Amino acid sequence: MTTTNHKFPMSFRLSAVLLIVGLCVEAISLHWIHPIAFLAFFVIGGTFLGAGVLLFLYSIVFQHAPSGSDDSRSS
Amino acid sequence: MPGPTAILFVLLGTTTILLVVMLTRASLTATPAGKILAFLAFCVLPILCGFWGLSEHLERSKQTAFCLSCHIMQPYGQSLYASDPAYIPAAHFQNHRIPADEACYTCHTDYAMYGTIRVKLHGLRHIYVQYFGTPMNPIHLYDLYNNRECLHCHAGARSFENDTHTALLDQIKTNQLSCISSGCHDTIHNAASIDKVKMWRPQE
Repeated sequence: MTTTNHKFPMSFRLSAVLLIVGLCVEAISLHWIHPIAFLAFFVIGGTFLGAGVLLFLYSIVFQHAPSGSDDSRSS
Repeated sequence: MPGPTAILFVLLGTTTILLVVMLTRASLTATPAGKILAFLAFCVLPILCGFWGLSEHLERSKQTAFCLSCHIMQPYGQSLYASDPAYIPAAHFQNHRIPADEACYTCHTDYAMYGTIRVKLHGLRHIYVQYFGTPMNPIHLYDLYNNRECLHCHAGARSFENDTHTALLDQIKTNQLSCISSGCHDTIHNAASIDKVKMWRPQE
């Protein structure tokens, strides 16, 4: 039986978490019509989204692909 | 058909689900198609969500409810219901000469090139002063009210074509004479004394 052992590097996982938090902040801010909602979206959501995307781009340029993606398999 | 906000929420949900799937099923990225999917989930969709969200927030910031959500603006919102046709904002608001749900923005925007960006930057200044500074007391516009904002709708309108306006048109266009100067349309919000004015109650 052949199994795969794929796991994202830490930077990819961190990037995903940052993006999910940013998207959640955006979703929450869109439920409220108030200047603070705009600020929360722009400052907090924008920071998380920007950091997540930049970390992802940095990771795919300067780091290895997710381990296991090179077809290495363990049996 | 669902509105843009509903579609944005679907996109936000889809992107989040994709990210969670990518986190839990990293093996998906082993194939070229999976790599493209990961690039979409980690880069393209979040950027799209961010810019769409920004656009949505900018549209919401034009709403009357947005402006009046600050306590300091409430007397100005109240003045829109003044039961006196001399109150210029009230007359415009109550007779739907301006969109009721974008009443503040319609008269206080800047009808020049990049005017929307300029007023939004002013809006950020409002937020800064409100939360980190000391608001003016009483609050007032940063600059004199520009007749251009009135003429944007009124110029060329039949109701605007009368002897007084025609005689003064050059002065009005060059802002030498303000539309809201004394003796013309000079009853504006009068927020300080709005409590003493009879109010209009719209029928449900």
